Amino acid sequence: MSSTLLLVLVAASAYLAAHVVFGWLGRKYLVVSGAEYLVLGIVLGPHVTRVLTPEVVDSFAPITTLALGWMGAAVGMRMYLPDLVKVPGVTFRLALAESALTFLLVGGTEMIVLAWLYEISLFQAALPAAALAGIATASSSAGVELAATRLNERGVEVTQLGVSVLVNAIVAVVSFGLLASIWHRPVMVNDRPLTATEWMTITLGMGVIGGVLFHLFVGDERESDRIFVSLAGGVILVSGAAAFAGLSPLLAALVFGAILVNTSRNRAELATSIAHVERPLYFVLLVFAGAAWQPGNSAWILPVVLFLAIRALAKVGGARLVTRINGMLPVLGPDWGRGLLGQGGLALAIALNYVYQDGGTLPYFVFTASIASVLLTDLMSARLVQSVLAPLIERRHALLRPADGPPAPDGGP
Amino acid sequence: MRRIIILALLLEGMRLVLPLGTGSSSAHSLLTFGFLILAAYTSGEVADSFRMPRIVGYLVAGVLFGPSALNIVTVEATNELAPVSSLAIALIAFLAGAELRWSELRERGRAITLILTSELGITFVALSALLIGLRNYVPFLQSAPTPTMIGFSLLFASIAVVHSPAVTMALLTETGARGPVARTTLGVVLVSDVVVIMLFSAVLALARALVPPNTGDVAAISLGSVVWELGGAVVVGTVLGAAVALYLRFVKRELMLFAVLVTFFGSEIARLVHVETLLTLLTAGFVMENISRDGDGDALRHAMERSGAPVFVVFFALAGAAMAVTEVVAIWPLVIPIVLVRAAGIWTGCRIGGRWARVPAKTGNLVWMGLISQAGVAIGLATVIAEVYPTRGAPIRTLFLATLAVNQIAGPILFRMALARGGELGEEETATTTAVAST
Repeated sequence: MSSTLLLVLVAASAYLAAHVVFGWLGRKYLVVSGAEYLVLGIVLGPHVTRVLTPEVVDSFAPITTLALGWMGAAVGMRMYLPDLVKVPGVTFRLALAESALTFLLVGGTEMIVLAWLYEISLFQAALPAAALAGIATASSSAGVELAATRLNERGVEVTQLGVSVLVNAIVAVVSFGLLASIWHRPVMVNDRPLTATEWMTITLGMGVIGGVLFHLFVGDERESDRIFVSLAGGVILVSGAAAFAGLSPLLAALVFGAILVNTSRNRAELATSIAHVERPLYFVLLVFAGAAWQPGNSAWILPVVLFLAIRALAKVGGARLVTRINGMLPVLGPDWGRGLLGQGGLALAIALNYVYQDGGTLPYFVFTASIASVLLTDLMSARLVQSVLAPLIERRHALLRPADGPPAPDGGP
Repeated sequence: MRRIIILALLLEGMRLVLPLGTGSSSAHSLLTFGFLILAAYTSGEVADSFRMPRIVGYLVAGVLFGPSALNIVTVEATNELAPVSSLAIALIAFLAGAELRWSELRERGRAITLILTSELGITFVALSALLIGLRNYVPFLQSAPTPTMIGFSLLFASIAVVHSPAVTMALLTETGARGPVARTTLGVVLVSDVVVIMLFSAVLALARALVPPNTGDVAAISLGSVVWELGGAVVVGTVLGAAVALYLRFVKRELMLFAVLVTFFGSEIARLVHVETLLTLLTAGFVMENISRDGDGDALRHAMERSGAPVFVVFFALAGAAMAVTEVVAIWPLVIPIVLVRAAGIWTGCRIGGRWARVPAKTGNLVWMGLISQAGVAIGLATVIAEVYPTRGAPIRTLFLATLAVNQIAGPILFRMALARGGELGEEETATTTAVAST
């Protein structure tokens, strides 16, 4: 049986099964579906069963690149400014501060550890460390959505988590885009190499031109098939152009998505189309990310464990610190950062993008770290969020009870 | 004006991005794919503004941006995007099968059979006679002994009679035409694909008897293999179609993804068991449509049209990019008579067949215009000839590609004219142009 056929069978049956089995599991046991496809990819990959050979994995590179772009566009589509300006400023401050703290803490620590462990200079270690920092910043929204739906809550705590996940994603994607620009291999244009600023401008410009083309293309049309073709063409063009130029398709497509959502009259239709295709591409990405994984030598274990530990510390401790500084402890409590521990497709997408980049140092170590983090946290992300939300919500409800009810706990709002 | 700006932006963007490339072929194919979706679609709109089928715009975009002209879409890129063409053919075949209903086949079966027999037979004989008459000017017949002359003339004629299900389906989807001209043309085109394969196999066997090939290790095409290739395709397609109908009955979710997987899976299975891919998927679509519940087939068809929309645009653009424009220019004194005689043979055959089947005159006089387009199936057959007869096969392929280029442009225009004259455009086109404009 050809590898391609087997892959189709496996991917199809796994994806369809997700709707029956994992949908039920998710609702009943608060389990997020995703990591199992990663394991499936690893099992099918060249280093375990060899069902998927390296040639087959390489032949699907355009689809995985498209998946990266589509995920970037999906993040961009969540940046609808009229909705974002309604969110209180302190929510954004907390989110941004937590993201920055996580990025700096993980990046700084990993740079030192990698330089020491692999006997490379700090400059050489900076690139994989920065990639890991971006990956560490990203959090999964699936757990937040699942837990919030289960608890039937959309209060300030859920808003904080939701905004934090979005800001985490933006910081992660933008930082990786910057990395790709700074560490781009030299390309001579007009007898000189392009600078990092120029590469970054090109990345952003691709997204902008993609957005302009979309609007020109759609014109006054409202018909859904036409909009879908325009959207698909735009995402494919933007991600293909960015990947071809050795830049980040995630960032270019994020800009594209952000422009679309803020300028198009067909926002709802676009969001539906994006979401509809995102899920199957996400599963394809997980399977091929797993298949593309390569085990390194044993030297990766310590830095990966350290990565997981530092990330957890940064997320929980960093969130606590910024909450205390902003006087929001009574509202959000000290442990809301736990709800950001879950990692999903975006972390893997950034890691895979790093693997595809020319000249990246220690690509498979970075990839291994992201896979380990996703495997450990994705399944439990909804339960982690619930463990944070449930006490906060219970406390809020207790305070809102009538005066002859139980007294409010100390420190309550 | 808007479309000109789009094309200008796309061209200028590609001009700026291409020098920045890192050499990754996978990223290059993705970039080319995205470019073609937007550029070819825009060209289709330009064609539509001139009351021509959008397919012509897609084909012209391929010619313009392809290796023959601007070379934005390089030969390497067209090879990298070959899976897109395979997927498109598979989707088209499935959709074509899903268009056919058993009741309709019973109603039109006799007319389709008689028209097909008549036009294929007359066209085949006319083309063979033309090539024999012009043998001193035909590259692969010059100075050839009589058996060689006859054998290769028949071979060329057997592939030149082929029609194009892809163009037929694309135009019917674009226009939403469902009248007697549309349905009869579709029926003739779909059945002709099967018949042409059988005809080609028989003619190739005859040619091998008349002109034994020099290559010693070319396997003979046996009757058994042809029977399996066609009969097995029906069996495999039936099983696949039944499985799809069951899915629609009991699951009916994620139809867009399912549509792509079904066609991908069906073509892969057909390739593995050595059956005819087009016929397999055609049968699968036919079985699915005729055994599934009311509405289920429509839901899957719509999902397929939607997921296939960008794929179809790129498929026709790639076909345009692969067109042998320079060959047409180089050998046009030979191409034009072949194109005209083929058209005349089809016209005569359809009129005779239509009268024989007692088809209404309006339908019988217009069907021929839908049969001018030619398809990639014949390219595959021409490639087989080139493999069996490397020396003479290459010029046969070249001449065929040149005539195909002309017919691929003229065919959709004529078919659209036929639908317009038959009164099968108008309200349907207005209502469905935007709905299915992507194909």
